[in-house]
Amino acid sequence: MATPVRSSGAEGLRPTPGDLVLILLVAAAAVALLFALRPHGGTEALTVRVTVDGETVAEYALADYTEAVQVAVDGVSWPLVLELSADGVRVAESDCPGGDCLRTDAIHSAGEQIICLPNKLIVSLEGASNAPASDIDAVAG
Amino acid sequence: MKLNRTTPLLILLTVLLAGCSGAAQPESASRELFAMDTLMSLQISGPDGQEALDAAVTELQRLDALLDRNEPDSDLSRLNAAAGSGTPVALEEATLDVLEEALLCSADSGGAFDCTIAPVMDAWGFGGSGDNYRVPGDEELAALLPLVDSSALLVDRDAGTAQLTQAHMEVDLGGIAKGYAADSLTALLAEYEVSGALLDLGSSTMAALGERPGGGAWRIALRDPADAEQRLGVLSLQDQSLSTSGSYERYFTQDGVTYHHILDPETGYPAETGILSVTVVGENAALADAWSTALFVLGEDKALELWKSRDDFDYILCCFDGRVLVTEGLEDCFAFEGDAYGYTCEILRR
Repeated sequence: MATPVRSSGAEGLRPTPGDLVLILLVAAAAVALLFALRPHGGTEALTVRVTVDGETVAEYALADYTEAVQVAVDGVSWPLVLELSADGVRVAESDCPGGDCLRTDAIHSAGEQIICLPNKLIVSLEGASNAPASDIDAVAG
Repeated sequence: MKLNRTTPLLILLTVLLAGCSGAAQPESASRELFAMDTLMSLQISGPDGQEALDAAVTELQRLDALLDRNEPDSDLSRLNAAAGSGTPVALEEATLDVLEEALLCSADSGGAFDCTIAPVMDAWGFGGSGDNYRVPGDEELAALLPLVDSSALLVDRDAGTAQLTQAHMEVDLGGIAKGYAADSLTALLAEYEVSGALLDLGSSTMAALGERPGGGAWRIALRDPADAEQRLGVLSLQDQSLSTSGSYERYFTQDGVTYHHILDPETGYPAETGILSVTVVGENAALADAWSTALFVLGEDKALELWKSRDDFDYILCCFDGRVLVTEGLEDCFAFEGDAYGYTCEILRR
């Protein structure tokens, strides 16, 4: 049986044990880098942030509210009461003109907001992933 | 350890995996603020992002202070207070700019857009903070309609003044001021090293400049006027502005009848033209802002006529009967999704 002919070029392409070690090391480093630099996610508890005209006036960790609790918001022009529960937050009472915030449904997920224009108030739900993954930059209308 | 032809592959693998992390996103600065009676959101990317953002916020607050007719010391309040006095009022250049653009839109739309409609808006309660809605009587409206007259608003650029020639007239710039602000910010950002910006001036008016972070056109969903949780489609915009007017934005119900805030300057009543919403896209945000109101008032046929006579805007019109009409200039950048909710899409051509 004739010995297969092998060119010198083919000899050069054949991986050595050292190459295999290098491949494993670089792949491991790349995967470690990928995990280290990825956007943080997870199931962190939700926090309610209340801002009035850009200033944070209150923060509440929803996990602390196993039963629904109503809290008045300080620093607003028209009295406003929030209802906090482990499930989410809503505006329970508001004396603001128009009452749009009162008609807004409760919010439950990170990235959702309730706005009260007359009070310049924003109620935001924040969590590990502050906004759900989306290919949309804004909603018009 | 010797290097051979597998080495470039390893380097490529490393680069690709590291690239997946998104670690190389451009610097981006963002802020929400209340101005012009709405919540605005600014997002600016690029080496000068934060500096440009600070300048943009300052400019928005300056324009808000000039153009708010509910603020006693504003340019607009001083103009309105002097109505019928015969005395021209000295105004800032920006105020004169907006007034001139408003007059131009009024003339070009045949009066469908008219910034002197304020007295009629107030009669309905649409001019204030939203707690005084009411249906004015026919006689009351008939008495107010003569005050809706753009020809009685005189602007003198050389003198830097304007005046309303009839007593009790008032100007409201709610239909154009946010668009003008978007144009001003666009010009301002050109002075900075900025790769992209999304200026969301209250959802109804937006300017999409340059590229979104990560590259490509900005992707802006268009809400279904019948349900805020649904969308008619997605617009991909780059260096363009949009403005939307819809009957769902501000309204009240009395005796089982719903009255919305887009008033017909000719009748004084909410415009009922079979339209739920109009979105106008163009390079000039002030024009887009004013045209979205005007097209809503004009209705489907006149809107088409107007579009055919001009080349500076396109539109998406959502009708009561479920048709979504899209002018051909937006055919390639609007991804229609309304079929999921019973809408049909038609492309309008010149």
